[in-house]
Amino acid sequence: MQGVQRISEEDNFRRKGLMKILVRAFAGFRDVMGERSSYDLPENSDLSTLLSIIASRSEESRILLFDDQGRLRGHIILMVNRKRVPRSAIGEMSLSDGDEVALYPPVAGG
Amino acid sequence: MLTDREIQRYSRQITFIGEENQERLKSAHVVIAGAGGLGCPVAVYLAAAGVGHITIIDRDRVDLTNLNRQILHWERDIGREKSRSARDKLLQLNPEISIDAVTVAASGENAVALTKGASLIIDALDNFDGRYILNRAALVHTIPCIHGAVCGYDGHVTTIIPGETACLKCIFPEPPAGSEFPVIGTTAGIIGILQAHEAIKYITGRGELLKNRLLLWDGRGSTISYLDLEPDPLCRECREFQKRIISGEKD
Repeated sequence: MQGVQRISEEDNFRRKGLMKILVRAFAGFRDVMGERSSYDLPENSDLSTLLSIIASRSEESRILLFDDQGRLRGHIILMVNRKRVPRSAIGEMSLSDGDEVALYPPVAGG
Repeated sequence: MLTDREIQRYSRQITFIGEENQERLKSAHVVIAGAGGLGCPVAVYLAAAGVGHITIIDRDRVDLTNLNRQILHWERDIGREKSRSARDKLLQLNPEISIDAVTVAASGENAVALTKGASLIIDALDNFDGRYILNRAALVHTIPCIHGAVCGYDGHVTTIIPGETACLKCIFPEPPAGSEFPVIGTTAGIIGILQAHEAIKYITGRGELLKNRLLLWDGRGSTISYLDLEPDPLCRECREFQKRIISGEKD
């Protein structure tokens, strides 16, 4: 019975036009955003929408992701499904249900 | 040729890597840029392993605040040049190798000359300006640059091989902000030893290098993750180099 119920929940989820995106945050981002978190986004959302939603969850997250002008900070490494997303492609990077997005702010010390 | 003493000194690793590879280590020249939290463990392990020629470059003098992590510098060394302080300890560990101590900041002007003839470069610096300079020198000489960096409990390592992997500018087109980072000594130790390990693998040809893979160390839960990398065809630093390699392969 449980299995049947789970399927119908997934159906409901899709009917609402939502998709689940898993976000993995590394290094300093992990302390603020959590190691793994799941976001329910409207279908056809892109990567920049996801980043705005993450930023809207806390002021700390917003400052980590965006500068004073609201530009995504240049040093952040973005991966979708383990593939690097070049800076120029972020605007047109669409996401699909089940995608995994990784965020890594590189460390620099020695 | 290895001396009898060398065969004895390195016997525990020769049984694993063979005499030929021990000779490769002996004839290798490794330039370690930075004698700080990363450079110290790198230098200790490469000297102990019998890398025959090590150049240590660092612009700074030892400060009390260095001693929590920079294990080659001791209380009595405060105020001394780091490169010389490191050289003294390494020669006590292994007097059979040669070590150059260079006190200078790696710059666009001197980096190519400082790394000329080297087998590989270890990027153990604490700033991205210097790291980009090493990356360029590695491209000029077509030698690997083993990059490592740390902050707090986090660290990363990758092995950059011109023509085979993404270069430092492909991976990190823009430097992270900040100039002084908190570090737990063990984080620098772990990352430095991984860099030394990559160097030994490269010189001996045994094992798989961290090529186009960024190893992420997370000391919170002691976990390791990897990010897959690839050369950026638009990279201003290495795209000409990529073209040369690709056209070279076609010939």
